Amino acid sequence: MQHRQKLLHAVLYALMTLSLLWALVPILHMILSSMKTQVNMFEMPPRLFFTPTFDVYQEMFFGRGDFPQFLRNSLVVSVVTTALCLLLGVMGGFGLARGNFRWEKDVSFWVISTRMAPIPAVILPLYLIFSKLNLIGTTTGLVLAYTTFNLPFALWMMSTFFKDVPADLEEAAMIDGCGKFRAFWRVVVPAAAPGIVATAVLCLMFSWNDYLFASIFTGRGTQTVPIAASLLVSQSGIKWGQAMATGTVIIMPMLICGLLVRKYMVRGLSMGAVK
Amino acid sequence: MQQAASRPLMRKPKRNRTEFWMLLPSIVVLAAISIFPFFFMVYASFMDYSLDMDRPRFAGFGNWADTLTDTAFWQSWGRTLVYAGGGLLAQLVFGCAIALLLYHIPRFRNLFSTLFMLPLFVAPIVTGLLWRFLLDPTYGLYHWVLNTFGLDIQVLGDPSYAMFAVIMMDVWEWTPLITIIVLAGLQTVPEEPLEAADVDGANSWQKIRYILLPMVRRMIVVALLVRSMDILRYVDTIVITTEGGPADATKTIGYYLMQVAFRFQDIGGAASVGLTMLLASILMGRFFIKVLRSEEA
Repeated sequence: MQHRQKLLHAVLYALMTLSLLWALVPILHMILSSMKTQVNMFEMPPRLFFTPTFDVYQEMFFGRGDFPQFLRNSLVVSVVTTALCLLLGVMGGFGLARGNFRWEKDVSFWVISTRMAPIPAVILPLYLIFSKLNLIGTTTGLVLAYTTFNLPFALWMMSTFFKDVPADLEEAAMIDGCGKFRAFWRVVVPAAAPGIVATAVLCLMFSWNDYLFASIFTGRGTQTVPIAASLLVSQSGIKWGQAMATGTVIIMPMLICGLLVRKYMVRGLSMGAVK
Repeated sequence: MQQAASRPLMRKPKRNRTEFWMLLPSIVVLAAISIFPFFFMVYASFMDYSLDMDRPRFAGFGNWADTLTDTAFWQSWGRTLVYAGGGLLAQLVFGCAIALLLYHIPRFRNLFSTLFMLPLFVAPIVTGLLWRFLLDPTYGLYHWVLNTFGLDIQVLGDPSYAMFAVIMMDVWEWTPLITIIVLAGLQTVPEEPLEAADVDGANSWQKIRYILLPMVRRMIVVALLVRSMDILRYVDTIVITTEGGPADATKTIGYYLMQVAFRFQDIGGAASVGLTMLLASILMGRFFIKVLRSEEA
């Protein structure tokens, strides 16, 4: 019996190792390739041990290209969108969680279907409206576009987090003489702080990772890093070294952010359905 | 109750006034960026509308008739079904299997599940680019692996394999989502029924089949719904790897819409296509809410 148990565990760990290889080899291959010379990069089987070179990165960040500007644009758009959606979403989410409105069900449904609306179907009308308002190619346009999915997300997530904060808490504060809004600000918001941070990180990630909106709504000077990645693909071929380095730069901050809020990841990615 | 029914907006107006004002700005912003564009799209679907036109002309049901009789439209929906159906099925099977694996291993569960979820954070555009690199017929690592097994296939350039390849990209990126959701569910399964099953001499497979899986059914449904709405949402990987090709083999409905709108500049037609996509996602959203509520009650 003991023996069989051991064998079973060995099989489980072997399968787990295979799954991890499947998940991680592409990412590792990208990161390693970005640090290889053009010659080493295409060697098969790939070399695992080599002297890393950061030439591609150096060229990207300090060369003649526009990469730093792409990066700055991405950062500005993501941060501004996140701040905006969080401000509205934290207040609105509280309203949604506590409001007990007659049309709460409809609002919830509306919020979730806005969040889940297919991006191509959202882009089209926004494109027409933005071109009338001269917002194509502007940072404002892109921020508004990202708000279409991040605001409903923030509202929805914050309402699930606020539902977890017992209403007694703010009622106690109100008995102590706080107004409702003050009680919310002083007592409820701190209690839901981890949820706010997790929501912020996910909003940041959704904006940072977007390609399709950016491909339609940005122009010269406002393009973001995913666009920089796509521009490396051309008729005459793909600059693989740069592509892998750009990919690495795009995913690194999100890996770190994601790991920081790991505990809330399930909740965020299941739209609050799993706690 | 009677009294509440006569009030138009709120059940307990006095108590909830602050909450109402806190929610209002969000509602207004959301209406401006979602409801207004929606009606604009409905309007555009009845107009003869192109990007270089000053004034759209009324077209009646012309766009709708054109779209609904276009075989390319139905073929794109068909491919979307294959893409979504194939991808979701594979993710469901792998996702649950790996969640069960993680649940059963005695050590390093947290470390492994954290490592396994890393693909979730990769931007879809990077996923596409990266897989294009892996499958590249000259430089690709995975192409080389296939080659050593005697399979010399230009995966992305071959109409019979391209769909499979873009499905695999989606499976790679999103299987972890199903895994972590199902694993979260498994970890809340109480000990008692499992111990009782042990006493009755049930084996591991029976415990999985009759206790664990039924108890995480709701999680599985939630994960599948989130994924099915998302699989309609994104076209990034297809845009960067195959551009709908080769020979339209990977032209899903989202890509078809982008093409009608921005390559053929037929806004009216694209609007009608977009509305069919919205309808599909709204139906799924309805179902999602229903599942959530049914379990809460």
